[in-house]
Amino acid sequence: MTDTMDWLEAIGQDATLRHAPADELNSTLEAAEASEALMAAVASGDSSWLAQEFGKRVMHVTQSSQTFPEGDEPEREDEGEPLDPAEPQKGAASPKG
Amino acid sequence: MSLDVRRPLKLPYYQAMTNPETQPTKATPRGSLACVGLGMTLGSHLTPLARSHIAQADVVFAGLSDGIVEMWLQRMHPDVRSLQSYYQEGKSRLTTYRQWVELMMAEVRAGKRVCGVFYGHPGIFAWAPHKVIEAARAEGYAAHMEPGISAEDCLYADLGIDPGRFGCQHFEASQLLLFERRIDPTGYLVLWQVGLVGDRSLARFQTGPAYRQVLVELLSEHYPLDHEVIVYRAATLPIQQPGIRRVALRDLPNIELPAEETVILPPAETLKPNLAIQARLAALDAQEKAGMPA
Repeated sequence: MTDTMDWLEAIGQDATLRHAPADELNSTLEAAEASEALMAAVASGDSSWLAQEFGKRVMHVTQSSQTFPEGDEPEREDEGEPLDPAEPQKGAASPKG
Repeated sequence: MSLDVRRPLKLPYYQAMTNPETQPTKATPRGSLACVGLGMTLGSHLTPLARSHIAQADVVFAGLSDGIVEMWLQRMHPDVRSLQSYYQEGKSRLTTYRQWVELMMAEVRAGKRVCGVFYGHPGIFAWAPHKVIEAARAEGYAAHMEPGISAEDCLYADLGIDPGRFGCQHFEASQLLLFERRIDPTGYLVLWQVGLVGDRSLARFQTGPAYRQVLVELLSEHYPLDHEVIVYRAATLPIQQPGIRRVALRDLPNIELPAEETVILPPAETLKPNLAIQARLAALDAQEKAGMPA
């Protein structure tokens, strides 16, 4: 049986599925016995249903620090911080291109 | 040559990378680096070449925007190392990005084929991919950037904007506030990272309505307060639609603005003909028509 990740990849790669109305896409998914969470996400347009399968994880997406021209960045006390990662923090994300 | 990646290179900020990609030779060290873009939407945007870089790598580092997309990447390679955990509220993002560069360079120096995978385009609003490529090349390693479909690409398609029609300026929103920039209201204006506009510390994930009000007041010097602005978010999963909202400029501080959203201001004024230049070009045309190449 195709799992939800396989379905997401398949939908992303198929022009008909990617742009199908939600009810048509769900008919296809139902016939293929896709997961309830995926069908609920498609029906509602709310991808947070997928957290039932994949868990909920807050991702930070800012990857830019170009507010200041290079060399003019504010000095920070954490400059010499070691490479140990911190625990993931909850918070908002911001976009890159 | 060794490059201390903890310290920014002292190049003028307007200067592009000075060590362009070269073909590997027998003298090129064994480690290598590719920074590739995964695009914005799971399944839809990953190019065959980027997928090949991922598959052929010894180790993959992931700087992605969606946990499910990161899990998708983990299916493509057995050793995917997330860079997410290096973010921390109150910690300068520059410190985080320098750590990313060090992590990737450590594996390159160990002789590994390293692939850094970043959402969207790895070279747009992304500090670490540029820096790690620069660091790798400075030490003699082969290093390459493979473009991806960016949020900017998606917004042109989803909003029906052609940047060539009236021109298009892009600014990181905080930079627009902190420095004297020239806004051209006859073209499109695209503002990135508005959700944390005015953050001078590089250590916050969000700023409040009062910060956005400062942005609105700056923009109101060029746009009427009832000017319609577009708040946009690209789809990251293929079951999502792009997020598109239209609000008046004056209302920008008062709406919920998740920081992953981008703000677009359509032109507020018509293009003004440059009559002096047009007359000069007409004179050149007349000269050529008379048989004298201009």
